[in-house]
Amino acid sequence: MRKLSLLLIIFFLAFAGCKTDVKPATAPTEKAVNTVKYAKGLQIYNYKNFTVVKVTEPWPDAKEGFTYVMQHKGAVVPDSLKNSIIIHVPLKSIVVTSTTHIPSLEMLGVENTLTGFPGTDYISSINTRARIDAGKVKEAGANESLNTEAILELAPDAIVAFGINSTNKTLNSLQQSGLKVLYNGDWTEQSPLGKAEWIKFFGALYDKEKEANELFNTVEKDYTEALKLAQKATGKPTVMAGALFQDQWYMPQGGSWGALFLKDAGARYLWESSAGTGSISLSFETVLEKAENADIWIGPSQFTSLKEMTDTNPHYAQFKSFKNKQVYSYSTKKGATGGLLYFELAPNRPDLVLKDLINILHPDLLPGYQSHFFEKLK
Amino acid sequence: MPNKRLHITLFTLLGIALIVLFIANISLGSVKIPLNDVVQSLTGGEVSKTSWKYIIVNYRLPKALTALLAGMGLSIGGLLMQTLFRNPLAGPDVLGLNSGASLGVAFVILASGILPAALAGIFLSPYGIVLASVTGSFAVLLAVLAVAQRLRDTMAILIIGLMFTSFTGAIVGVLTYFSTAEQLQKYTFWALGSLGNLPWNSIVLLCIVVFAGLLMAVITLKPLDALLLGERYAKSMGVNFKRTRFIIILSTSLLTGCITAFAGPIAFIGLVVPHMAKLFFKTSSHKILFWATLLTGGVLMLLCDIFTQLPGSSFVLPINAITSIIGAPVVIALLLGKRKGIFN
Amino acid sequence: MENGKIIMQASNLDIGYKTRNHTNAIATNINLSLKHGTLTALIGANGVGKSTLLRTLTGIQKPLAGSVLLNEREIGDYTTAELAQNLSVVLTESLPPSNLTVYELIALGRQPYTNWAGSLSGDDNHKISQALALTHTKQLLDKKHFEISDGQLQKVLIARALAQDTPLIILDEPTTHLDLQHKVSVLKLLKNLAEDQGKCILYSTHDLDLALQLSDEIIVMTESVVVQDTPKNCIQSKIFNTLFSDDAIVFDSVSGRFIIT
Repeated sequence: MRKLSLLLIIFFLAFAGCKTDVKPATAPTEKAVNTVKYAKGLQIYNYKNFTVVKVTEPWPDAKEGFTYVMQHKGAVVPDSLKNSIIIHVPLKSIVVTSTTHIPSLEMLGVENTLTGFPGTDYISSINTRARIDAGKVKEAGANESLNTEAILELAPDAIVAFGINSTNKTLNSLQQSGLKVLYNGDWTEQSPLGKAEWIKFFGALYDKEKEANELFNTVEKDYTEALKLAQKATGKPTVMAGALFQDQWYMPQGGSWGALFLKDAGARYLWESSAGTGSISLSFETVLEKAENADIWIGPSQFTSLKEMTDTNPHYAQFKSFKNKQVYSYSTKKGATGGLLYFELAPNRPDLVLKDLINILHPDLLPGYQSHFFEKLK
Repeated sequence: MPNKRLHITLFTLLGIALIVLFIANISLGSVKIPLNDVVQSLTGGEVSKTSWKYIIVNYRLPKALTALLAGMGLSIGGLLMQTLFRNPLAGPDVLGLNSGASLGVAFVILASGILPAALAGIFLSPYGIVLASVTGSFAVLLAVLAVAQRLRDTMAILIIGLMFTSFTGAIVGVLTYFSTAEQLQKYTFWALGSLGNLPWNSIVLLCIVVFAGLLMAVITLKPLDALLLGERYAKSMGVNFKRTRFIIILSTSLLTGCITAFAGPIAFIGLVVPHMAKLFFKTSSHKILFWATLLTGGVLMLLCDIFTQLPGSSFVLPINAITSIIGAPVVIALLLGKRKGIFN
Repeated sequence: MENGKIIMQASNLDIGYKTRNHTNAIATNINLSLKHGTLTALIGANGVGKSTLLRTLTGIQKPLAGSVLLNEREIGDYTTAELAQNLSVVLTESLPPSNLTVYELIALGRQPYTNWAGSLSGDDNHKISQALALTHTKQLLDKKHFEISDGQLQKVLIARALAQDTPLIILDEPTTHLDLQHKVSVLKLLKNLAEDQGKCILYSTHDLDLALQLSDEIIVMTESVVVQDTPKNCIQSKIFNTLFSDDAIVFDSVSGRFIIT
């Protein structure tokens, strides 16, 4: 068994070596500028009849990224790019694999091209749910695993997938069959605006780059305004997050997407100094000791009521934020079939998230504001 | 009697170890709390931080009690099973009860994904999990007893128990295959066992049921001694074998079933502790072994639990990992020592 | 318990096995009586049904027909507890592995009399001491049961049956795997127990010559009959010649043993 894996490693390295040789030695004819501002894992270069989209960090610590060439009708792709993955745009049909992709499609007005999705129950958007109920969006898998046969039958123009690491049997086999598979790296972005900017990825797929840029600019403007508003706040409430999973308390790390929002919203997140973009697991004792007197509790996992929390674990009642009923969850707003709105829409609309948080932390700054994602738990 | 002095010494040591480890268990944890504050918390005095008092009284104390009860209950269950089946590899879960519990819990966790949110909430609450675990154990118990009534051969019951384990394990495998990552994680975490987070009324319930199981076990000690000579001799000495077997199975089920329901399936302890007791005390007399196993079980479980929340670290290790890591080398060491004649 | 009084009576006894489809009768129309203060040997070739007979007499197996009376009561009517105070056994099977000491093993014989916890009273201890004395096993007290010789273990098992203080003791081939010296020692012990202690003792054996010399009565089991009589009468009836089907084996009445021709 050992020898086999050694052989495979050697094989893989040789293959990887091969790949780099194929990289274009000469750049395309005209020099273009990367039009992406915030997203660290995305690069978009616009040429006359085609666009080069580079996904540089499809998964954390990826050794290399992917280069996609979006070829418009009748366009000529330079030889240097002939070996990249070429997608004919605009797409007529698409299969996406994360609910975070849905808002991009809807904002660009191309949701009609969606033909399949794995786990359609997770989708909350009303428009798309209607299409699902009408049978226009087929079930393409269960949970996180794609159903190869279903997707082969759908034969979409492109599949927008995401990978957690470099091994992905299903996606590889779909590619082998001739389908176009693109890796979307929006989930590795941590900055609020960076994540939202991935709408441009979809813009490139539908030849709607202008619209995508405009939509993003609006979001950027609203976000920046909200940011300025937050800076006017007088107090800086202390914030705790997460909840217990059996014996582990998952606490978002300081560099994670959720924590960055808290920083922008003018909160003193008690674990803001922890490095990393994921979450750390802590013991209940540690959390109680540090956060017993935190002012506000944001994002207690999947709980939708205070009673549900104490039923699961009586210890939650010890926190001051719980006693004062200052617990805000994003798990109450759900679609018709149970999908969380927060997970679907929030990445595309950081402006709304920020305003929600500002409303929670400094209620006086936004009088009469209606919360989009968060709800105070009763 | 040469063993008597050995026994007195051992029992004294075990008693002291139990008290020391209980105190240590409450005093040690992720958060460093000075001993003085620990004592103050328990006696109702002034504590520097309110969070400390809560941690000691409502988190660590229940956890220590759960560890004690689980350690004692599972160990006695193991002792009963090992003597009944005359098999040193038998543990309290050999009848398949833990597998039944796992199946019940797996059903509930998976079903929660299919059901509407409200019902799912009930299923996933701790009471739902406890109920599912008890129902699963009970179903397997009924099946085992039904089979036992028809079978004269005790070995056959052991094999059937093992078959139930495989069967329920296979179904659980299929269920987990269809689960989401979150459901899978939730189930896996349950299966790794957890002694903490039990509310006081659960502790009381656990206490009552464990005591009931232990009392039942005590009644079987005399016939178990007769069984040391084999079934035929035991019957000739007046042992009602079928009735004794029934009580042994019932007692083990009560102990294992309720501990698993509240703390998840805890591995290894029930298997290892009776061996430790037999190796230390060098006797087959069940009267002595009962107390030896009881105390050793409590001591070992408290020790393992201390390691789950090592002082200084902020994370918690699952109890099953610790019991296996500590349990296996201990038995190997004891057996090796015995071979060298150290314990002769 | 006066010597000579009947303790166990088997009348018109048919023994064998009953399965769903058919009945297998090993032996039929057996009539036996066992009396206090007697040592009775059960003799028969291998496979003739000695074990089945013993199992039926001890109540483990149901008779196909007829009755077995213990103290004038059907043996099937006894509860396990009652039976344990009237009948004890010594078996050939090897003991399961355990750490039992000789003392603990013998003390187990008191189980039918102790309370639910198995605590030993003064009377219990007295009986145990008596058993140790009668079998001359006191010096083995603290040894583990697997540390003593086969001959010693046999005596220890007999001591256990003695501690059980039953008027009737049944032994299954107690001398089979012992050397001659130990065979004699065990049989003399059994005879002693019958005569001096008034026990009724029934034992099965292949050692016919020793049995003839030491037993009060012999039960002979052949393919066709089961006969109970004194050794003298048994020899005179020439029944021992019908024991084995091999013509080369002949029983010599004068020397009281088998001769190979």
